[in-house]
Amino acid sequence: MNLEFAVRLTEIMLGFAFLQQSLEHIASPRKEQILFFPRVVLSFLLIIGFQTPWVCLALVILGLFILHRFQGPYNGGSDRMGLLILCCLCLISFMPNLQWQEYIFGYLALQVMLSYFISGWVKIVNPEWRNGRALKDVFLFSAYPVAESFRKFADYPRLLGLASWGVILFELAFPLTLLTQQTLMVGLGIAAAFHLANAWLFGLNRFFWIWLASYPSILWLQTRIFGQ
Amino acid sequence: MLHSLQLLLPALIPSWRFFDVISPSPRIEFILLKSVQDAGDQWHQLRPNPARLSFTTMLHRLLWNPDWNESLFLVSCAERMIENPTKDTEQEILDRIKFDLKKNGSQVRKINYLQFRLVFISRDRDGLRKEILFTSAIHPCAEDAVS
Repeated sequence: MNLEFAVRLTEIMLGFAFLQQSLEHIASPRKEQILFFPRVVLSFLLIIGFQTPWVCLALVILGLFILHRFQGPYNGGSDRMGLLILCCLCLISFMPNLQWQEYIFGYLALQVMLSYFISGWVKIVNPEWRNGRALKDVFLFSAYPVAESFRKFADYPRLLGLASWGVILFELAFPLTLLTQQTLMVGLGIAAAFHLANAWLFGLNRFFWIWLASYPSILWLQTRIFGQ
Repeated sequence: MLHSLQLLLPALIPSWRFFDVISPSPRIEFILLKSVQDAGDQWHQLRPNPARLSFTTMLHRLLWNPDWNESLFLVSCAERMIENPTKDTEQEILDRIKFDLKKNGSQVRKINYLQFRLVFISRDRDGLRKEILFTSAIHPCAEDAVS
């Protein structure tokens, strides 16, 4: 995957993810609609590739107003990933040469890899994650399960213990998937399934779409480093 | 704008510490009062989870999930109210309770006052523990605040 194609694919996928997020705000109080109607238009322009550098810049500026409005990200990690991708795309579009564009896109890919590895690391050093207690707590009392029926999973400690170790080992092993294009494709498939499960069980639908938008960067980095 | 740039920094240099510890989890409860002196005890949980969801609803929510995402934002607001309480955050929660009441066709016009509290649930030795960590002042139910 060459840089130009990977960047364009990222723009399109980010545009759709932003469009999905922004449309969700249309039924919100009026003060929010003022921020998200322009974001709908800009996301559409990003998808069709119209004046991309200026559209990205406008989205970054609008992103600052949205951060100010909510005194931080509206939906935590998914908004942060969206802003990271957007800022990288914006910088790439204004960079004078290919080398700097590669550095910035490589930084994005590195962060995608770290998003899994660090998440795995902070879990494995925590004994409550290692013995499955943390995941049990997520189902037992956290605000995340989308329906009360899902809280019953807390009654299956062995299943949750296995699931915890599965997530931890996958997240820690994720950087190794970069070794070949085939292993990376498998790794990204598992990662996407993991985000889909989080969207399904915990309603984190924005994470699913925004992380997918970051995958072209890591596919490009794999080709750039290993050339296969 | 400087403050917004400070808020942007964690996105540019993220920590990625998702779910490193499972902290006490907030629920927002509110009560509708007829007067400031009204000593009501009927607290309602804001947006309680449904007992179950159908397969099609969950599939639909992959693309369209505004209420749930707003609920997650309210969880962040509740946590922020304990870590770094501000009038803006309190108002944010209050406005959304009023917006919900209005949207659900509640009898908010017959109710003069509103109060909310933040209940944090955590694991105890024998089960779950509930702690009320914040109770708001009593606020009038003026509808202009929810526009």
